[in-house]
Parts: sequence; C-alpha cells; structure tokens
Amino acid sequence: MSAAREMLCDTARAVFVEAAAEGIAPVEAAGFSLLLVAEADGGFGGDWGDVNAVLAIAGVAVPDLPVAGLILSGLGEADDALHAAAAVSLMAGAMGEALGLSIEHVNTRQQFGRPLGKFQAVQQSLAVMACEVRAVEAAVAAMAKRLDTVGLDAGAANFEIAAAKLRANRAVGVVTAIAHQVHGAIGFTREYDLHRVTIPLMRWRGAHGNDAHWAQRLGRQVTGFGGRGLWEAMTARAD
Amino acid sequence: MHGCRDMQGFALYPFDPPGDISALRADLRGWLAQHQPQGDVVERANCWASFDAGFSRALGAAGYIGMTLPARYGGGERHPLERYVVIEELLAAGAPVGAHWIADRQTGPLILRYGSEEQRQRYLPGIAKGKLYACIGLSEPGAGSDLAAVRTSARETAEGWRINGQKIWTTGAHLSHVILALVRTEEGSERNAGLSQLLVDLDTPGITIRPIIDMAGNHDFNEVFFDDVLVPHGALIGTRGEGWKQVTAELGLERSGPERYLSSHALFAALIDAAGSDPEPALAVLIGELAAEMWTLRQLSMSTAAKLAAGEDPMVEASVVKELGNAFEQDMPRRVQAVIDCGWDDENDLARLLRALLIASPSFSLRGGTREVIRGIIARGLGLR
Repeated sequence: MSAAREMLCDTARAVFVEAAAEGIAPVEAAGFSLLLVAEADGGFGGDWGDVNAVLAIAGVAVPDLPVAGLILSGLGEADDALHAAAAVSLMAGAMGEALGLSIEHVNTRQQFGRPLGKFQAVQQSLAVMACEVRAVEAAVAAMAKRLDTVGLDAGAANFEIAAAKLRANRAVGVVTAIAHQVHGAIGFTREYDLHRVTIPLMRWRGAHGNDAHWAQRLGRQVTGFGGRGLWEAMTARAD
Repeated sequence: MHGCRDMQGFALYPFDPPGDISALRADLRGWLAQHQPQGDVVERANCWASFDAGFSRALGAAGYIGMTLPARYGGGERHPLERYVVIEELLAAGAPVGAHWIADRQTGPLILRYGSEEQRQRYLPGIAKGKLYACIGLSEPGAGSDLAAVRTSARETAEGWRINGQKIWTTGAHLSHVILALVRTEEGSERNAGLSQLLVDLDTPGITIRPIIDMAGNHDFNEVFFDDVLVPHGALIGTRGEGWKQVTAELGLERSGPERYLSSHALFAALIDAAGSDPEPALAVLIGELAAEMWTLRQLSMSTAAKLAAGEDPMVEASVVKELGNAFEQDMPRRVQAVIDCGWDDENDLARLLRALLIASPSFSLRGGTREVIRGIIARGLGLR
C-alpha cells in the first residue's frame, strides 16, 4: 500500500470511530464526498483503489452508515453498477473481519483441554472460509484495477463488477456460516462483535443486485463473447 | 476493531510482466492456429495430461518451452510471468502439453536452482527443445499424503548410488526419460530428515515400470521398481539430506499454476457455444456463475505467480489456488449436467466432454496434494495448529 493510501486509511479509521458514535456527520465533515473528485475541481483526486481501501474499513467500523453513497455522491449521479462495486469493497472488509474474529476465537477458546484451533475439523472449516475471503479480496482488487484503467466508467468495467459482486455474494453464505459455527453460542449474542459484520454481509448480498441479477447479466455477456471469445475478452480486458 | 489488518497480511501482488504481452499472446495464438493438432475435442480437456511428442518438439523449436532458462542452456531468458502468459494461453486453447509439462514446470527450474553445472548442461537443453521428458518419484505404497514416510533407499558406494525400493502413482513414467526421485540416503534416518533427490535416467538397468490403468481406462499412472539400480554419484541433485526442503519448494511451483482452473475449460467453452446468443435463464445463470469463479481464480493464480516471480514463497496462496481451483473444476461437470439435457452415451462434443470430465473429476482434489492436506497447509498459514 502506498504511503498516501496508508494515510488515507489512518484518517478513515479515526473518522469512523467518531462516526460510530455520532452518525454520518463526521464523515461528511472530513470531506469523503470529495475523495473521487479531481484535484483540479477541489477534490482529493483519489482512485477506486482508495475507495476500496476506505470502504473495506467502513465495512467493519460503520457498516450501517451510508459511507459508500457519500463517496459516490462526489461523482454526481453515479451509475448503480458503481454502487454494486462499492458494496463489494464493503463486503471484502467485513469478510476479512469475520475471518480475523474466527481465528482469534478458535486460538483462544479451550474445549476438551485444548484450543478449538487444534481440532482438524475446525482447521479444515477455517481453511475453506479463508479461501472464500481470499477469492473476494482478489476479485475486488482486480475490479478496482479495471475501474481505474477505464476512468471509473462503469459500462467499461461491467464484466469485472458483475463477476466481483456475484463472487462476493456467493462467498457470504460460506463465510457467515463458518464464522458462526466456529464461534458457537457466543457468536450469536448481541454482546459479541461477530453480528456487526455478519448481518451487514447478509444485507449487502441482496443490495445492488442479487445473485440471479448478476449471474443472468454476466451469463448473457459471456454467451455474447462465445466459447473461445470469453478467453480472448478476459485477457484483452486485463493486458 | 481490526480494519485493514487482513488485507495487508495478504496483499495481492500486481501481475506486471515486462514487454508487450498482447503481442506475445497474438504471436502464440497465430502459432497455435498453424500447429495445434485438430484432434478429438476430449483431448482438449485436461490437456496437460495429453502426450504429443511431435507437438512438444515443435513448441520447443518455437521457443515456448524452457522460456525462463538461461540462453547458455538453450532457454529463452524470459521473465517468469511471460512464461505464465504462454502457459495460460496453451491451456485455454487445450493444446497437448502433457509430454513436456513436468520437465518444463518443475524439473527444469529445479535443475537450474540446485543442479551442478554438469547436470544443467546435460539435461536443460533437451528440456528446452521439448525433447526430454521427466516424471516425479514421490509417492510410495506406504507414503501417499504422508510423504515423509518414504522408504526407497539409496546407499553411496564407490561406484555410485545403489537404489532399492518402489514408487507409485508416477504419472508419465512410461513416456519419460528421467525420474526425479525422493529417496532415503541416510540409513536409519526418520521422517523428513535424511532424504535426497536423485535424477535417474529411466533406461538404467534394474528399473521396471508397470502401468496402472485409471478408472477412465487411461494409462497415466505407473509403478516404478528399483532393484539394485546403480547410478553415478552425479545423479544427486542439490544437497545430500536436503531433499525434503527441495521437494517442498518444488510443490509451490506445482500448485498455483493456471492448470488448476483451466483443465476443464474446453467444457465451459462448449457449454457457452451450446447455449447460443439468447440462452435460457438457467443456462445464463450457470454460465455467469462459472465465469465469475473462473475470472476470480485467474486473479488469484496470477497474483500467486507474481509473488513467486518476486522470489517469495507463496506456499499458502498456492494452496488457496489449488483448493478453489479443484472445487471449481470438480463442480463444473456436475453443474453442467444439472442444466443441460444430454444422455450419458450421446456422442456430440458437449456430451463427450461432460462424460470424460465427470469421470476424471474425482482425481482433481487428489493429484498434487489431497484436499485435506491442502486445507491443513492453509490452516497452518492462518496460525492454527
């Protein structure tokens, strides 16, 4: 991560702590609606990589606040596909947090005289979960790269946004189920932090296009490419 | 609150090969249009097991094998990520790369890294020409997932190494020139200590190769018996007693490549063509889901290749690629069968690809490390156990 983006992340963390107590006002005051606005127009001139990094934090810290909408408002009437892209970034952050909480829990919680993480059944479950989280992180990074290459033109990044949102949606089931399973009853309480990411994950899965929506759309785009054309399109878009 | 922690822990490496990658792809696609055999469509699935020595020699002559090796050994001195691009193109096209596959992917790089000057000069030019094929002698009857249980022994004598024992599940031994065998060189040693790698010419007296026919009726596997086989001192690759470390590094090359998600690409392409330009909803949904998964796997595989190229050890990332790639490829024929109307014995391309891959699919999460072993590696990487 570049030094500038590290600084942006630090700022976001600090602002979101305030926002968790006071609502969206501190995020507005910090100028996050200017993140994507060009420097020439008085904005920060950030790219989608920056948006992705900030939203990954927001997905954990303030999942109930409309941070993504606020950032996109800087673009005027943002394409709904960009809202879907923003949702994927939130989801990646929340999934990383669910994995982190799960690892911490199984390494700490003792049953049958040893930490849960020593049991192979638990290890294998967490490995499956980690693969899903990595997949979403890879998808979101590639989507961000494409968006930045095409200057945030959602139409030109339609394949990547569809693929990333669909892949993230499909990961939610595995990630939330395993996170709750390895936590046991404590993860189902109001007091414990896990629901602060798992409930938003379930919400974001249905927002800005559910599985059927994106699968249909992507499937139709791919049949338009044809069998060999899919590979040619996929490589041409990334080279 | 943890924020960016996890993302920083597992940063994606940018896939950024030098040179004009679009031109590299275009050249190779043009070459394939001229040289790829127009054989049976089923041969295009799982094509890294399709053996075609004529194709391998032509590919080698065109400079697409041993691409990363130094020029003095007949290599192309290209960047590892340029080789990655070539490999993914060959696999996506379903080219028959099985003959040289292991030599190009693993044995060549291993000889370059650990071999003596004499070994490099002896083997690398043949590998780069697509003429010298290798197999990997790891598993034994008593050592499958538990590789450290290897018992095949090599004793150093005045004349050279004397090898006794047996390897099993050795893919392509009957078609290869050399076997890179993991053997116990230190008498009385236990587990992963005392192991070494020997590069053995398969025409050495005392070696017997017996076929094992798989459930699809194919002959890929073999048993390889060593009965008092004498090989020169110079057969040792790398450091005596360091075989475990060398093999572990080699497996990183084996697990994360594009073959982990492109083996079944011929079926996906046939499904897309069969669906036509106005697909029914169930087909469109499946094609969309498979495309999203494939695209994501490609990102993971490329990022892992970039990390490997940067000289780091992506053991955990490589295992993630293998685990997700295996699941994708294993599920694909089942999911295709669930939505298309086709009989088991139908003879159209889609039906024959589907049948072949349904039957082949159980092996996907066995070869190159079982699913359970791979998940164990990932769990260790997460800080469990």
